[in-house]
Amino acid sequence: MRFIFITVLKELKRRFNDPGALISSIMIPFAIGFLIASVMGGGGGSIKAGLLVTDLDDSFISQGILSALGQDQVADMVTLEKISLDEGERRINEGDGSAHLVIPAGFGQAWLDREEIALQLTVNPSQYVSPRLIREMLESLLDLGDYLHKVFGDELKIISQSVDSDGLVGISTADFSANITDKVSGIADLVFPPLMEVEDVTPEPEGLSVNMGLLMFPGILIMAAFFAANGQSSNFWTEKEKGTLGRWVASPNAFSAFWVAQWFTAMALTALVAAPIMLMGFFYFDISFEKYLSALAWLGLTGPVLFALLSLIQVLAPSRKSGSMISTLLMFPLLMVGGSFFPTETMPKFISSIAQYTPNGRVIEPLKAYLIGEHGASGMFAELWGILLVTLVLVLLTGSLSARKALA
Amino acid sequence: MIEVRDLQKSYGDLIAVDRISFRGKAGSIFGLLGPNGAGKSTCISCLSGLLKPTAGSVRVGGFDMSTEAIKAKSSLGIVPQELAIYEDLSARDNLAFWGAAYGLKGDKLQQRVGHVLNRIGLADRASDLPKTYSGGMKRRLNFGCGLVHEPAILLLDEPTVGVDPQSREHLFELVREEKAKGTCVLYTTHYMEEAEKLCDELAIIDHGKIIATGTLEALRAEFGGNDIIQLSGSFDQPKVEQAVTELHGEVLALATDTLMIAIRDGARSLPSVLQSISATGAEIHHARLSEPNLESLFLKLTGKDLRA
Ligand SMILES: Nc1ncnc2c1ncn2[C@@H]1O[C@H](COP(=O)(O)OP(=O)(O)O)[C@@H](O)[C@H]1O
Ligand SMILES: [Mg+2]
Repeated sequence: MRFIFITVLKELKRRFNDPGALISSIMIPFAIGFLIASVMGGGGGSIKAGLLVTDLDDSFISQGILSALGQDQVADMVTLEKISLDEGERRINEGDGSAHLVIPAGFGQAWLDREEIALQLTVNPSQYVSPRLIREMLESLLDLGDYLHKVFGDELKIISQSVDSDGLVGISTADFSANITDKVSGIADLVFPPLMEVEDVTPEPEGLSVNMGLLMFPGILIMAAFFAANGQSSNFWTEKEKGTLGRWVASPNAFSAFWVAQWFTAMALTALVAAPIMLMGFFYFDISFEKYLSALAWLGLTGPVLFALLSLIQVLAPSRKSGSMISTLLMFPLLMVGGSFFPTETMPKFISSIAQYTPNGRVIEPLKAYLIGEHGASGMFAELWGILLVTLVLVLLTGSLSARKALA
Repeated sequence: MIEVRDLQKSYGDLIAVDRISFRGKAGSIFGLLGPNGAGKSTCISCLSGLLKPTAGSVRVGGFDMSTEAIKAKSSLGIVPQELAIYEDLSARDNLAFWGAAYGLKGDKLQQRVGHVLNRIGLADRASDLPKTYSGGMKRRLNFGCGLVHEPAILLLDEPTVGVDPQSREHLFELVREEKAKGTCVLYTTHYMEEAEKLCDELAIIDHGKIIATGTLEALRAEFGGNDIIQLSGSFDQPKVEQAVTELHGEVLALATDTLMIAIRDGARSLPSVLQSISATGAEIHHARLSEPNLESLFLKLTGKDLRA
C-alpha cells in the first residue's frame, strides 16, 4: 500500500515536470467551456460589435467558423457582415466596424492538413472592448478547432470532402454544433453507421427550463477525466519503451500494484485538471459552492472508469500505435453517445437511452442531476460503489493481462 | 548466491540460451563474456525474473525464481543493458523511487540516495531531469538505480557500452567496491579487457552455450603455458599451416593477411618462427608476442574473432 502511494506521488511528479502538457489539458476544456459559454450563455448584450468578414476560402471549415460567429446568441453581441476584401479594408480603415476578419483561401484545407495558416484580423484601434471580444471568441473557436482536429481530424476530412462537393446551406441557419452534426449525419453511413443517426440536435425549447450551458457543463468536465485517462493508460507503453516497466517487473512488488497506482494517479489527475474548470463553471452558472467538493470527489472517483477502459484496450493492443488508434475510435462514439458533446436532453430518445450504458454517461448523468438540483449528494453517490467495482475489475484484468505480456 | 542450472530459453526455433549452468559467490565477480547475440542479456532476464526459462532453474539469494519470485527478486539489483530510468524525473527522485521499490524508507533512503549520487558523480546535477544529461550521465544514473538499495546480488548487463573511457574506469572502481562489500556481482561484457580486469571467474558464452568456464588462471592454463605470436602480412595458407605444425605450434587463426599461433616458449621460438614462415614465401610486416589472453582463447575455442 505504501509503495502504491509512493508510485502515485512519483507519477504526479512526472506530470508536474511537464507543466506544458498539464496546463494544456486544463486549457482545452476551458476553451471549449468558454466557447460554449459565449455561444449558449447569452448574458451581457450591452456591447454590440460589428464584425466584417471576407471569406476567400469558402470551404466547409470557413463556413463553420462563420456559422459559429453568426449563431443567434452570439448575434446579440456581434453583428456579422459578409463583405468583399476591398470593401472590408476600406471600411475598417475608415473606422466603420469593430474588426475585419479575412479567412484566406486554402484555410480549410490547411487546417485539415495541420499546416500553418493564419486568420487575418484587422481591428479598429478606436474601439477597445469589441475587438477584444471578437479576438477572444476567435481564439477560443480556434482552440476548439484544434481540439476537434486532435480527436476527429480524419473524420472531418471525410466530412469536408463530401460537404464541399454539394455546396453548403446559408450560414445563418443553425448553430455550429447542429450544423456539424447535420453534415456528419449525411455521411454517417460511411463512418459509424449505427451510432450517428442523429437527425436533429437542436434543443426542444418547451421541455427545458435549465440553461443549455449548464446541461453541457458536466460533459466538459468529463474531458478532464478523458485527458487523464488517455495520458495515464498510454503510460504503460512509455514505461515499456523506457525500460522502467522492466525494472518494475524485476522489483519485489506485485505487478497489479503498478496498475492500481496508475488508477489512483488517474483519480488525482482528473480531480486536479477538473478543479479549476469546475471552479469557473460554478461561478459562471451560479451553482452553490457547497456542492463543489462533492462534485469534484464524484468526478475524481468515477471519471477514471474511462482510464480503466482505455488501459484494457492499450494492453490488449499489439502496439502503442494500434492501442491509441483503437482508443480514439472507441472514444469518439462513446463521448458522443454518452452525452459529452451534446447533452442527452437534446438527443433523440433512443440514443439518450444508450447513454446510460456508456461509462461516461454513468459519470455525467448523476453529476448533472446533482448540479441542477434534481437530487442531493447521496443521490449522486448512490452508484459510486458500482462504478468503482467496475473500474477495479477492469484494472485488475488489465494488470493480469499486461503481466503475462511482460513475461514473454 | 546465484545458481543457474541447465538454463534454457528459446524464442520459437531459436535457442538463445542453451542449457547453461554456473554459480556466483558472495564477494566475487562472475563474468559472462561473449559476442553480441551470444545470449547474455537473455540469461540476465531469466535471472531477474523478466523472462520465464523454457527449461532449467534459477536460484537467487537462496530462492527459486519460479516459485518464490518476490523473495528472490528482493535480493537483486539490476542494471539493464538498455537505459531504464525516468527521463522526466530528477536523478534524486529516480534513485529515491527505486530505493523505495525495494522497501527502503525514511532516513535510510535519503542517506543511500545521497551516497549513491556522490558515488556516481551526479550530486551537483541531482535535481536536474535526465533529459538534460549526456549519454554517459544517464548510464551512471541507470547504474545507480540498480544499487541504491544495497542489493546482495548485482546483475550488470554490459554497463560500459556507450561510456567514455574515464567514466569507465570510475565504473570499474564502483564494481570493485561492491565486490569488497561482499556483493555477488554478475557482469556481462563483450570486451575481453574488461573481463580480464574485473572478473574472478568467467564463463565464455557463444551461441547460447558455455564454451569455457573457470578462473582467469584456469582458462589461461588451457593453453598449457603456450604463448601467442601474431603476425600480419600476406600468407599462403596451406604452406603456412604445414610450417607451423613442423614448429610444434598450433594455428589459432589464419587468413591471407593475418596469422595467430600458440607456441611453447614464445620469446625463444620467435626467430625460428619468423624464419620458417618467411621460407614459405610469406611477407611479414608486423609481429607481436603476447601471453595468452581471453581473445586468443576465444579464437582457439570458436575459431572466430570476438569482435567480429
Ligand atoms: N524477444 C526476442 N525475440 C526473439 N529473439 C530474441 C529476443 N531477444 C533476443 N533474441 C535473440 O536471442 C539471441 C540472444 O540475444 P541476447 O541475449 O540479447 O544476446 P547478447 O545480450 O549476448 O547480445 C539473439 O540471437 C537475439 O536475436
Ligand atoms: Mg545484451
